Amino acid sequence: MLRLEGVTKSFGGKHAVDGVSLVVPAGQMVGVIGRSGAGKSTLLRMINRLGDPTSGRILFGDTDVTALRGRPLRAWRARCAMIFQQFNLAGRLDVLTNVMMGRAFHMPATRALLKMWSDDEKAQALSALESLDMARMAGQRAETLSGGQQQRVAIARALIQQPDIVLADEPIASLDPRNTKVVMDALQHINRHLGITVMCNLHSLDLARGYCDRLIGMAGGRVVFDDVPAALTEATARELYGLEAGEVMGHGVPSPVSLPAGLQPGFAAAGS
Amino acid sequence: MDAVRARYPEHFTRWSRQRLMMAGIAAALFALLLFGMGELGFFDGTLLTGMGRLFEIAGLMLPPDPGSWAHARAYGMALIETVAIALLGTLSAAVLALPVGLLAARNVTAQRVVRFFARRSLDTIRSVDILIWALIWINVVGLGPFAGALAIMTADIGSFGKLFSEAIEAADRKPVEGIASTGGSHLMGIRFGVLPEVFPVLASQVLYYFESNTRSATIIGIVGAGGIGLHLAEAIRTLELQQTSFIILMILVTVAAIDVVSSQLRFAMIGRRAGIGK
Repeated sequence: MLRLEGVTKSFGGKHAVDGVSLVVPAGQMVGVIGRSGAGKSTLLRMINRLGDPTSGRILFGDTDVTALRGRPLRAWRARCAMIFQQFNLAGRLDVLTNVMMGRAFHMPATRALLKMWSDDEKAQALSALESLDMARMAGQRAETLSGGQQQRVAIARALIQQPDIVLADEPIASLDPRNTKVVMDALQHINRHLGITVMCNLHSLDLARGYCDRLIGMAGGRVVFDDVPAALTEATARELYGLEAGEVMGHGVPSPVSLPAGLQPGFAAAGS
Repeated sequence: MDAVRARYPEHFTRWSRQRLMMAGIAAALFALLLFGMGELGFFDGTLLTGMGRLFEIAGLMLPPDPGSWAHARAYGMALIETVAIALLGTLSAAVLALPVGLLAARNVTAQRVVRFFARRSLDTIRSVDILIWALIWINVVGLGPFAGALAIMTADIGSFGKLFSEAIEAADRKPVEGIASTGGSHLMGIRFGVLPEVFPVLASQVLYYFESNTRSATIIGIVGAGGIGLHLAEAIRTLELQQTSFIILMILVTVAAIDVVSSQLRFAMIGRRAGIGK
């Protein structure tokens, strides 16, 4: 069970994530929705500890993730796999080596640095790739693959971490519709059949509704909605995303209409 | 149009302040150039009389001729030695510079003190020219190609260290982050996230330096650090101008050949990436 307690992250006085508290039970598929800049990415990155919270605590079971340093921190990252919008593979390395990075934490350093994977590890990596229909590409350089294929390699890397939780940060934002379905189906499979908790940042409300058990709506760094997808009303959705249109108008026209101020009340009401 | 002009007047001024300033700077630099040329005696006729002498010397250089077969052989061996000096010096410099470059790169070495000392020592090495290193090494190991290779090595550790650390700092952060997110150590991130990405850049820098070091190796030969330079200096001193031009031609052909081969290798390494990746 993942528990966030008042997690805040500020950059130069501005709160990117502002006092987020929530509990994610094991095995849930959670969609984090909201417009760009709402703090979704920052939140997910803090859970993996690629970013450190300014204040608040993140707990997984009895472990205080925010207090971890050194090897225990890396042990946590190994349990908490991350999938990125830009895949974050090493482009010039072959697919198999990229997937093998998922075992990086568990391997002795010298063996890993010399790329001496054991047969057992290779078998694990290849069967993870096979489950995503990517085993044929194992010898290719990652940069020669299409975006959808690269993201599947990244998912295979996450899979062989044998994680307790998978965080996906806009995993389909750089993909075409067909690959979007392939990747979202893969995440769903990880959740349904392997019982791994999945937390997924999504732009698309339709996708989030279709795939997730629970939606967390964020705006301005705060959680403004947290319920099952069916409970998301038109009004709330508009509040989450309609804001974007307002922001664009506010910047584009050099008129003295103070839109942000006008929007604040609605914001606050939804936030509390 | 007038309405647009009224709203963005700053894009319509013909003589903006920036433009005037650029023109002023260019004019000042040109004046400085003329002044310097005057001071060095460019305008008091020595250049014109000197020009005549230059053509005279050029005439004596033709046709290029080694003099004897034995000379030609000796020049050939010396040229091979020059290329060997350049290759050995460049490669050993690259091998030694890589760890220092890593220590000097911000995204690899977090400790400021280590980075500071790595960078300052590279600066120090770089501030001494290759010719001076050659003179120093001749005193240490004696005349000959070994001193030449050592001179190129020491001089290039400084340059490579700086170039490598800059290439490493410019490397994409994403693969490193990907490895960090799985619990991989910093060392794993460098080994699998940074080095494969920067390898083609480093290799092409090494190749380029090999080219340019072949030229430098002829110069350090003049002070006695092995290779063709010694023969060249001697031919000039004894006014064997046809031999001089023969040696210069040999160097020219060799450098051109190395240039062609290495630029093809460089493109093969970088081009492949540019062709397929985005």
